[in-house]
Formats: sequence, structure tokens, C-alpha cells
Amino acid sequence: MSQSVLLYAGFSLFGVFISSISQVMLKKSAMQSHGSAIKEYLNPLVIFAYVLFVGATLLSVLAYKGIPLSMGPVLDATGYLYVTFFGVVIFHERVTPKKLVALALIIAGIVIYALGSA
Amino acid sequence: MTASDSNKPQLKDGKTRSFIALHLMLVLYSFSGICAKLAGKFDFLSLGFVGCYAGMIAVLGVYAIGWQQVIKRLPLTLAYANRAVTVVWGLVWGVVLFSEQLNLLKVVGCLVVLAGVALYAYADAQEQVSDAEVGDAR
Repeated sequence: MSQSVLLYAGFSLFGVFISSISQVMLKKSAMQSHGSAIKEYLNPLVIFAYVLFVGATLLSVLAYKGIPLSMGPVLDATGYLYVTFFGVVIFHERVTPKKLVALALIIAGIVIYALGSA
Repeated sequence: MTASDSNKPQLKDGKTRSFIALHLMLVLYSFSGICAKLAGKFDFLSLGFVGCYAGMIAVLGVYAIGWQQVIKRLPLTLAYANRAVTVVWGLVWGVVLFSEQLNLLKVVGCLVVLAGVALYAYADAQEQVSDAEVGDAR
């Protein structure tokens, strides 16, 4: 894989990471009690989550300048790694062996795809 | 034939329709990647960029609404596991629309990612069932 593809793949991975943070913020907001229906949608957590979401879409546009379309959804799957990590650290969720196997498969698939792009 | 028997085929049809709707939504979602790829071909904030980017946001908006509707009618695990198919759509659109080169490693890599995403959805569902059982025992 050329250095420029690696750089743009990095933009894509960073976009997925930001998007995962945005999901965590939306979940945090959903778990809190809000005074009114408007506050449920217009509170700092939700607004910042949507700002991050827009940032993630722009990063994905930037990434596609240098990576093939087929690589995008493959790299998107790294979102499961971040979501699991945040689940454990922030929401104290458990990770089952089956989930670890699933995450290992995702990583292995990305590596195999990358070998095919080399 | 009882009333419940006569309802069964209808229910099954409903599920099939929801399943088709789910996959139509996932195809729609894959269009957001096409829009993003096209937007990247234009200068930032040029008319072409704004058009493609607006298309991408619109696709994601319609998908978000459609997804909410679909998951009301289908088991969540099934919906999340099937989401893995977007990896295949990425391959298909890449080859058909952008003349990307495929090889065995890329296809196998995509299929392994697909298997991982699907397994994750089922592992997640199992975890929630066992959590609920622990909750019941308490």
C-alpha cells in the first residue's frame, strides 16, 4: 500500500473514531433525564455529538480522495473496536469471548484486505 | 383452520417485507459512500462538492429514519448482523462505478470483516439475554 493510501486510510480511521465518540455522547445523553423534550435534543452533549458527526462525514470525504470506495466500509468496521472499548471503560459493560473473536475477525479481515491492496 | 393459522402467512409476509426493506435501507446507506467518493473529486465548497455532500447527508438522514422504522419490525440482532452487507456493497460499487481492481485477498478480507460484524451482533444479543437472566435471578 502506498504511503498516500496509508495517510488517507488514517483520515478514514480517525473519522470512524470521532463518529464512535459521537455515539457515546448520544448514549450518555439518552441515559440522562432531561427537563423537557426540547432539552432532550438540544443539550450540549447532543449538539456536540452532531458537530462531531459532521466532522466525521467531512473526514470520510477527505479519506475517499485517497482510498478506494471498497476500503471505506472495511475501515468503518473498526468502529466496533472503539464502541467495545468505550462500552467497557465508560459504561462498564462486559466483553464476552465471542465478542473478542468477532473483533479479532474484523481486525484479521482488515489486515487481509490491506495485504490485497499492497 | 383457526384465526391464528390464517394470520401466520400474513405475518410471514410482513417479516419478508421488512427484511427486504432492511436491505433496501442498507443499499441506500451504501450510496452515502458513493456521494462521499464523488464529493472528494470536487474542490472543497465548490458547487459539485456541496451537491454531493448534501446528497450524502440527505442519504444518511433518510437512512436514519428508515432504520428506526425497520428495527421496530425486525429483531434488532438480525438487523445489526445484516448491516455487515454494506462491506459487500462497497466492493460492488467500487468495481462498477469507479473501476476499482478486485483480487482474492480483498474479497476474502471483506468476507472475514463481514463475518466478524455479524458475529459481533449475535454475541451482543446473547450478552443481553444472559444479563436479563442474571437480572431475573436477582
